[in-house]
Amino acid sequence: MKRGGSGSPSGAGAGRGREGTLRWMGRAVLTAYFWAFVVFLFAPLAVLVVFAFNQSMTPTLPITGWTTHWFHQAFSDTELTGALLRSVGIGAATGLFATALGIMASVGLNARRLRLRALVVAVLLLPLVVPYISLAVGLLVLLNQLGIQISLWAVFLGHVVITLPFAVLVIFPRLRSLDPAMIEAARDLGSNELTAFNLVTLPLLVPSLVSSFLICFITSFDEFAIASFLAPPGQPTFPVFLYTGSRAPGLLPELIAIGSLIIVASLVVIAIAEGGRRWAERRLRGITAEELPTGQDVPALQI
Amino acid sequence: MGGEIQLVALVKRFGSVTAVDAVDLTIPQGEFFSLLGPSGCGKTTTLRMIAGFEQPTSGQVLLDGADMAGIPPNKRNVNTVFQSYALFPHMKVFDNVAYGLRRAHVARAEIKQRVSEVLEQVQLSALASRKPAQLSGGQQQRVALARALVLKPAVLLLDEPLGSLDAKLRRQLQVELKALQEQVGITFLYVTHDQEEAITMSDRIAIMNQGHVEQAATPREMYEEPATAFVADFLGVSNLMDARATRTSGAAVALDLGSGIVVEARAGDVSASGTVKVVIRPERVTIEQAGVTGPNRIPAMVTRSVYLGNGVRVITHLATGHSLTVLVPSTGDGTPASWEPGESVTCHLPDSALRVLPLDSGAADVQPVPAT
Repeated sequence: MKRGGSGSPSGAGAGRGREGTLRWMGRAVLTAYFWAFVVFLFAPLAVLVVFAFNQSMTPTLPITGWTTHWFHQAFSDTELTGALLRSVGIGAATGLFATALGIMASVGLNARRLRLRALVVAVLLLPLVVPYISLAVGLLVLLNQLGIQISLWAVFLGHVVITLPFAVLVIFPRLRSLDPAMIEAARDLGSNELTAFNLVTLPLLVPSLVSSFLICFITSFDEFAIASFLAPPGQPTFPVFLYTGSRAPGLLPELIAIGSLIIVASLVVIAIAEGGRRWAERRLRGITAEELPTGQDVPALQI
Repeated sequence: MGGEIQLVALVKRFGSVTAVDAVDLTIPQGEFFSLLGPSGCGKTTTLRMIAGFEQPTSGQVLLDGADMAGIPPNKRNVNTVFQSYALFPHMKVFDNVAYGLRRAHVARAEIKQRVSEVLEQVQLSALASRKPAQLSGGQQQRVALARALVLKPAVLLLDEPLGSLDAKLRRQLQVELKALQEQVGITFLYVTHDQEEAITMSDRIAIMNQGHVEQAATPREMYEEPATAFVADFLGVSNLMDARATRTSGAAVALDLGSGIVVEARAGDVSASGTVKVVIRPERVTIEQAGVTGPNRIPAMVTRSVYLGNGVRVITHLATGHSLTVLVPSTGDGTPASWEPGESVTCHLPDSALRVLPLDSGAADVQPVPAT
């Protein structure tokens, strides 16, 4: 971004110096604020990454030496890797399922006529405002009443419930922004409703579907309350394993090592997602914006 | 080839609003037919019922004699050019145009050939591998046209296809569209609110108002013999005045324009009685010196005079209180007669040019109907 020219237009005279000082001060304050914000946000993450390579068992300064030992130990800890795999699996399944449900819910909400629209929206978004712990207890009681054993399936179901609102909030605005005439055009040109949806609506929803999947995955991956109630004994998800493990001091260096790996993995995922979004947008527009025609029309069209 | 459309007592209601009210129209094969009217008059709803996007509340849409009730848009031999073009942004121009052919499972080689042909026809061959976002408005409009025409429909429906283009391009495309229609020979049903557009291109026009058809006629008939006050007013070319028919005598009717001024009219509904509307076109009125007397001559005062190049448009204030626009052509030697504001004159309204219209259909006040 290019900043606008500094200083006022000519003729400001003596006022110019004062204005310049104010401008400089303002910029300094904003810059300081920005860096304070960055430090506040990322310092804990940086600390984690640094201590992952610390030789000492306890994460304290000064650092006595560097090692990758904790990574090796973490990955040979089958309990830890098992928990991690469980969370990745549940997260991926939740992301896929919640996104699929989110598409259907959005299509329903987008219908021209929908009875009790307000009620439907309220029900869909309710999990956003219900504490997860209440949902967890409720689900546990419900499963007990139905005589169903708690299992990772129950965790998955709970996570679909809490992530569905996110999926709808990401997908629905995108769907509503599509020109309805586009679907009518597809119908007009010989598609039935399903083909029109598959060939026109769905491809145009893809960016929002990717966002929805990532948000639902991360939410599920990170979720503790529901998992702690519904994950069966001996099969903890990663957050559950972390919370119980963090009380055993011997495990701490391993957890720090895994934690720092997750940070790096998140950065990679975000970079890929952003790159994917740009790619999708380029695909929609053809080539880059600079090569767009300037709006000149071909002069005459002889038929 | 086919392409005859019949609308029989067609009605569409949205809740309590009647968007289309008992429309009967027959559009023969190969005609360029326009539905013209202000926004909310029901013209787009009518088009959407023919396309199959809306189901009629009652009445019928017949395409070449076959009732279209319950037939979905994808099964009708009718294609639409949308106002927003509705191109598929994720597909190249070629794929946009090929979309319909692929749905019809046309052989790959034939698709390629037909798409190339139609792109050639609309002069877009060079842009076949572009995305719609890389095209200008006029080019996008042509892609939309090509995408519909490649399917060789019996009828092409066009919903204000030039609405979002600038005036110059619009005028150019009007000519091209008409030429294209004559070349492909299929029925064009064209929806527009622009009377100039409709008059320039159409074989016939139906002017719609509040869901019903006011008049269906050729542009010339419409212009010279408007059937209703609404039509005269909507075409925007006539002086429209209130009058009272006092006495009829065969082919003429005496009209009281107020202030005791009575004129005789010989065109339109000369058997009318009571309150009527009377129209006269600006070029049929002549301005004479003040003080000239005779039948159908009314004292007036010039309020404005606008030089037009090929003539002068003079706006006068009649002694009856009406405002009357007069078009004075340039004289033979090229100098237009000049009438200065404030000048007293006499306006001559020839009886053969005064057209009496029945005062039925809510006249010129347009009631907006929710968007259709």
